[in-house]
Amino acid sequence: MSEPRMTEELERMKTEYEPLLPIERKLIWWTFGSGVVLLAILVLINRAFS
Amino acid sequence: MSTLTNSTKPETTSQPEAVAAIARTRITEDWLAVWIGLFVFALSLGLLFGTDVLGWSITTSVWTSPAKALAPASKVYATLQPALSLTATYLFLLAILLVAAKFLGASLKRFALGFTVVFVLSYASWFLGSWAYIAATPDKRPGLKIPWSLSLTNESGFIIALILGLLIGNLLPGISRALKEAIRPELYIKTAIVILGGFLGIAALEQRQLATSVILRGICAIIEAYLIYWPIVYFVSRRYFGFSREWAAPLASGISICGVSAAIATGSAIRARPVVPIMVSSLVVVFAVIELMVLPFAAQHYLSGQPMVAAAWMGLAVKTDGAAVASGAITDSLIRAKAAASGVVFQPGWILGVCTTVKVFIDVFIGVWAFILAWIWSSKIEHRQGDQVRLVEIWQRFPKFILGYVATFLVVLAIGIASPALVPKIKAAMGQANVFRSIFFLMTFFAIGVMSNFRRLWQEGFAKLAVVYVLCLFGYIIWVALLISWLFFHGVFPPIVKG
Repeated sequence: MSEPRMTEELERMKTEYEPLLPIERKLIWWTFGSGVVLLAILVLINRAFS
Repeated sequence: MSTLTNSTKPETTSQPEAVAAIARTRITEDWLAVWIGLFVFALSLGLLFGTDVLGWSITTSVWTSPAKALAPASKVYATLQPALSLTATYLFLLAILLVAAKFLGASLKRFALGFTVVFVLSYASWFLGSWAYIAATPDKRPGLKIPWSLSLTNESGFIIALILGLLIGNLLPGISRALKEAIRPELYIKTAIVILGGFLGIAALEQRQLATSVILRGICAIIEAYLIYWPIVYFVSRRYFGFSREWAAPLASGISICGVSAAIATGSAIRARPVVPIMVSSLVVVFAVIELMVLPFAAQHYLSGQPMVAAAWMGLAVKTDGAAVASGAITDSLIRAKAAASGVVFQPGWILGVCTTVKVFIDVFIGVWAFILAWIWSSKIEHRQGDQVRLVEIWQRFPKFILGYVATFLVVLAIGIASPALVPKIKAAMGQANVFRSIFFLMTFFAIGVMSNFRRLWQEGFAKLAVVYVLCLFGYIIWVALLISWLFFHGVFPPIVKG
């Protein structure tokens, strides 16, 4: 398999720019939000039992 | 709006097969690590039945006179010449790894040649790292009759092996190519982790409450890697650096989760061309080496008062299994050396154990995460007719070596709980298995060094990928990792060795 050059890849990303889709935004913020909430819950549990 | 660019289409038929081939190879390597690790573990348990099967294996103590450095692991074999013990250890490892090489489809001749060099240089590093002036901690100096030492413990041999590997990988490409068949850091580290499970089982037997607490706290790592790191890295690479989805997702997984395995699993899940996870992986390996060479020393300097925070930090911040567990091993030795200088002797292995536990927790969910991404990509982002994500893919992507790690951990725990009188024997058995664990660790360090091609960073265009990596890793991940490690592990200490 011939390896494409990174510069060609970057050039292609410039010309064929893919904007963030609503589903991607949803994935990002729901994931991050649930991470923060779960982390807060675990910190509280940790404090309560230690 | 294009969801799958035309330019990627001509290659899509062959690429998933290539990614699947990589995945298949990795699964095989995973299973081989399980079997090799379990084999060594099972042989070490011979001690429980009165048979010292592995006692002939070589050990190196901290030395001032090279002639007295090497000795067989067990007193039963005290009359065995150290040179014979070393040769027997080499031949034993060569034999079992040749079987593994056969399964991996490697050239046996080239593997045997490469492994010989890997073993010799790795063990030479261990030997040099055990020199008293490098290794001895301050409390050991009077006994060794030396006025000073670097206090790096004999595990400085890991760092020497890494540096030696880096020199070969970056300055001697011809030798590096000749060793290629035996440069398998993932196989070595996964085998070491399987053996490590038994060693940690002993630690858990002795400190059950602490072990339970560590395991429960380790769960937070999963949330951090998947839910807090990944979305931000994906967002930054998409929004601010303009990376396509095909590049951003494996990059986010590579930086956030578990380096190479996660980048490949994600690449496969979103049907990226195989070159994408491979290029991301090469970047991950290089930066993991930089982390490995910097973070344990930073941890020793700033976190020696909170050893378990340092341990969790290594597991959460350093990418790739090999580099993370290797960082845990170095941190373990550096922090214990610093504590010993102030008169506190921590039980060895706990810092390494916490680091490994955190890393293993993260690894467990790679398959689940790849499944979720595959489902989102195929149903919401790149609607593909007839493309169904199967639950079995979670199992297919599950890192199998973890089964070996859990098995050795539970076997030791179960035997110890059922027959407390056997604990001293299990401890001796795990001590013998640990000889091989250390050698697999050493070879991992050396192999990581050889395959870290720093010249790749200077390749045209690679800089942008590297900038995202540096920004996310050093500007976000290691600090969040530190914060979360602090939240969950501060105030938790390894047991102190009395007397």
